[in-house]
Amino acid sequence: MHIDITYPPKERGGFNRRRLLHILRWPFIALAISCPIVNLAIGGPAWCIIALLVLHVVWTLVFSPDLVEYNRTSQSIKIVAYVCILLTLIDVLLAPGWASFVVPIVCFSGLAIVATLFFTDLETQKHNMLPLIIFIFLSIIGSSLYLSIWHEKDFWPFIVLDSLSVVLIISFAIILGADFKRELKRRFHVK
Amino acid sequence: MDNIKLSYYEFLDGLSDEDRELLRVFFREFDLNFSLSKAEKRAFRQDFEEAITVLCERGASVREACERLSLTNLGGFYARPSIAWFPLDDAAKIYPICLEHGLQNNFRISVYFKEEVVPEILQMALTFTIKRFPGFSTSLKKGFFWHYLDAVKKRFPVEEERDAPCQPIKVSISGSSSFRIMYYRNRMSAEFFHILTDGTGASVFVKALAGEYLRLLGINSADEDGDLIDIHETPTKEELENAFVKVEKAATGSGFVDKSSLQMSGKLSSARPCRVLHFKMNKDKLHEAAKRHGVTVTVYLLAKMFLATSAACDELTGDINIQLPVNMRKFYQTKTLRNFAMFTGIKIPIDKISDTDELFSEIVRQMEEKTSKEKMHEMITAAVNIVSSIRYIPLVIKAPVAKLVYGFIGENIYTTTLSNLGIVKMPKEYSEHIESMDFCLGAPLLNRLACAVVTFGDITTFSVTKMTPDPTFEEKMYKYLSDDGIEIKVEGSEYYAH
Repeated sequence: MHIDITYPPKERGGFNRRRLLHILRWPFIALAISCPIVNLAIGGPAWCIIALLVLHVVWTLVFSPDLVEYNRTSQSIKIVAYVCILLTLIDVLLAPGWASFVVPIVCFSGLAIVATLFFTDLETQKHNMLPLIIFIFLSIIGSSLYLSIWHEKDFWPFIVLDSLSVVLIISFAIILGADFKRELKRRFHVK
Repeated sequence: MDNIKLSYYEFLDGLSDEDRELLRVFFREFDLNFSLSKAEKRAFRQDFEEAITVLCERGASVREACERLSLTNLGGFYARPSIAWFPLDDAAKIYPICLEHGLQNNFRISVYFKEEVVPEILQMALTFTIKRFPGFSTSLKKGFFWHYLDAVKKRFPVEEERDAPCQPIKVSISGSSSFRIMYYRNRMSAEFFHILTDGTGASVFVKALAGEYLRLLGINSADEDGDLIDIHETPTKEELENAFVKVEKAATGSGFVDKSSLQMSGKLSSARPCRVLHFKMNKDKLHEAAKRHGVTVTVYLLAKMFLATSAACDELTGDINIQLPVNMRKFYQTKTLRNFAMFTGIKIPIDKISDTDELFSEIVRQMEEKTSKEKMHEMITAAVNIVSSIRYIPLVIKAPVAKLVYGFIGENIYTTTLSNLGIVKMPKEYSEHIESMDFCLGAPLLNRLACAVVTFGDITTFSVTKMTPDPTFEEKMYKYLSDDGIEIKVEGSEYYAH
């Protein structure tokens, strides 16, 4: 059987992420299994939960990034969200007493940075706003809950977070107008 | 690029005042047609300039070139901002969920012209054709419950082919498209991520693109038989519909789950695909061979595939199951250009596979039973029911579950696939400039190969997308077909190895 070659030779040296992931998967799995075992063996606080989350963050942000909607808005929101979860876990599991003050500060600082990134490239980023909207809604719900339950403790970061979130939602509605409505409609469709 | 740009200005220098005036008038209203960024507009303008230069170099007058490339061909498409969006059809919904790095459900249709492709003209043909296919001029986005397609207005570049066929299309970046158009020598190829369309929809697009390309090169056709979609018509709602939900539900839904089948024994390659082969055969000879056994070409090829597959499989017991996509358009009236196909499996125990008429009759029996309208109706009902029952579950929850389930009921139950696109027709004037076509499936995950067939003119092309270096399957296919008196010209890629 003679085969006429009618395709160009494949260019060498292309980055093969699939192969890289295949190789890296095993050390990650080994670490993910060994962390809880070591933690259980030596006892103490459950630091392995934090270690597992860090492994997950490194995996999803560095080695296996999003295959749909990989953009400045989604990635920065992802980083802010992971940092907040990590700080909360460190507070709960290792060194308690400061997260309720620090996490909202990280949240509103992150939100301010993401909003800046968003508004400086509005034409493109208006099509990428779902993670930002979800983060804003979660921030409003979280800070409102905190303020209604523990209102006597350090509450100003939550007021700032709440206010910034509301201001951002109103800004989206005013600046984007019909585009904002359309974006919400398509992002939350069930068809 | 700089060379080409320079040659346009050199070309301008060589023109008469009258021709220069024609071009000045041509570009006078250029900006009105593009509500895009400056960089995009510049790129489009460069495309027009290069195309005019190439057409004039090929013997057209400046007036002819301007007429062929008239701005009215844009139909105002780029002059309007993109606000449309399209939910994915029920068949497409699973594809973005199952995306992995290096893994994407895609396929490819290629047209082989009798002359080398002129990239500048192909670029313009794409620019003029895309407006008729708003479902293709889109970018994949992630919603809270489902993925969807967001309309995109941008320049879709044609690329020179440099990699193995059916490589994953990068859909992650803002505005990235889910298809690509490539050229290599005399071949124009279109690769599609399956979220956009199925083979039938893709062939309508590819035919329109090839037709427009030839028109720009100065070949005129009246298209009396209506083989091509008119790219200047307004797209209709029916072409964009999710045809699955229009089908009335059957009393019961079934057809997705089956037990695992045998896989060919060749080692899986890390290069995806590791090779692509095209068996080019005379259509009539193939038809005669099938007729000798009293069966259709699809049944005939399936029988030969069963024989070749069993030869490439070292197991002595178990079933060989060949997946067969079924075009639902033959059962339900629709004009949709999106996915509207279901699939079935023709399953035969490996120890019952022999080169006898019984093999043909068993395939015919199973095809009649399994590709009947009733069976397909039940399958559509099952698909629609599944999609409908999980529609209110956030994507973040249903995606991992769906991925897991798809992994279980996915490729495991099939040994390989045969997708027959059928006979593709083009207007006579255009056909004279086209040698053949091929249709290629993307690399499977577990199956060692996937096959696809298309017929254009006198040539039927049977394509094999390989995932194993083991040559048994194709060598056996070649032998079985040759033994039946069919002359085969084999074309393909080199073996891609990492």
